[in-house]
Amino acid sequence: MSTSIPGDSPYPAPSRLGVGRTQWVDFAAGARAIAPLDPGSFVFGLAVGALVQVSGYNSVVGMSGSLLVNAGASQIAIMEGLRIGAPLVVVVLTALVINSRLALYSAAVSPAYSGFPRRWKLGLAYLMTDQAAAITLQYQDRYPDPVRRRWFVLGASLTFSCAWFVGTAAGILLGPVIPSAWQIGFIVPLMFISLMVPSLRHRAEVVAAVTAIVVAVVFKDLPLGLNVIAAALAGIGVGRLIK
Amino acid sequence: MMLFLAFLLAGIGTYAIRLSGIMLLGGDRKLPESVTKTLRLIAPAALAAIIANSLLLDGGDWRAFGAWQIAAVVATGVALWKRSMGWTLIAGAGAFAALLLVGL
Repeated sequence: MSTSIPGDSPYPAPSRLGVGRTQWVDFAAGARAIAPLDPGSFVFGLAVGALVQVSGYNSVVGMSGSLLVNAGASQIAIMEGLRIGAPLVVVVLTALVINSRLALYSAAVSPAYSGFPRRWKLGLAYLMTDQAAAITLQYQDRYPDPVRRRWFVLGASLTFSCAWFVGTAAGILLGPVIPSAWQIGFIVPLMFISLMVPSLRHRAEVVAAVTAIVVAVVFKDLPLGLNVIAAALAGIGVGRLIK
Repeated sequence: MMLFLAFLLAGIGTYAIRLSGIMLLGGDRKLPESVTKTLRLIAPAALAAIIANSLLLDGGDWRAFGAWQIAAVVATGVALWKRSMGWTLIAGAGAFAALLLVGL
């Protein structure tokens, strides 16, 4: 890396794979920040991989879902939709509606990404999950330098997605190894509670969260998971009214 | 194969969704205060929506009250107390496992 880091040593830093020491440190800090969520990513991948196997889908095609889409809930919706014979257009649109929340995260992280080179934006966007976005938002103020921040974001985003890829592959190879009595689906609300609640600070954020919860259950009968999108938008709208 | 085609199309669309805000809002100009305030509410609102949808509902129906909600309350309490993601995950997973073991 030719970019100089404030406070960096005046001597050429030892580097691995052409990446300087400071960058590795920031990458590792990002990886550590998201590490508590990696088991959840792996286990959820395991479940999606097992679904590929028990549904009788081709292993390579099943794996391609994690690599191409990189968003578990929508991959489940695609596999289940096609299994019950839904038309391709409907299945793809359902997946995109489920993933439309990522547009909200994309807007939320845009100030944190604004100083990044274009190719970094293009790469990090592919790796942007709910969890990586939430970690980016929590840590952005601790990395005011965009160069150091982009390595932190890469460390968090890449390791979390890798846990997902490895989990999916393991699930496809091993099948349903986790007994259904363990109800590992609980990992989903638990991961999101651990991301949201510790960082709740301002009254407007609490109001936004509570509003979203109420709207999500009130509109539970909306199709295609639209209640989640409606709830998120309502939470943002009502939260804005709070000073 | 139909599944591959679905993954490919959904993958392209999802990538465009992921890129949208970064490219549209992520220029060098400074965003107005009202916009940044709105952006700060996105994470709590979106995460809470997913929590409600996965914890209180199960595919459009109410989820029966039991280990899920009790463990979630434990996790939320620990989250507010410790303000730590790691402790929240450990407490929530531990409480959930204990509740399943006692047959809830």
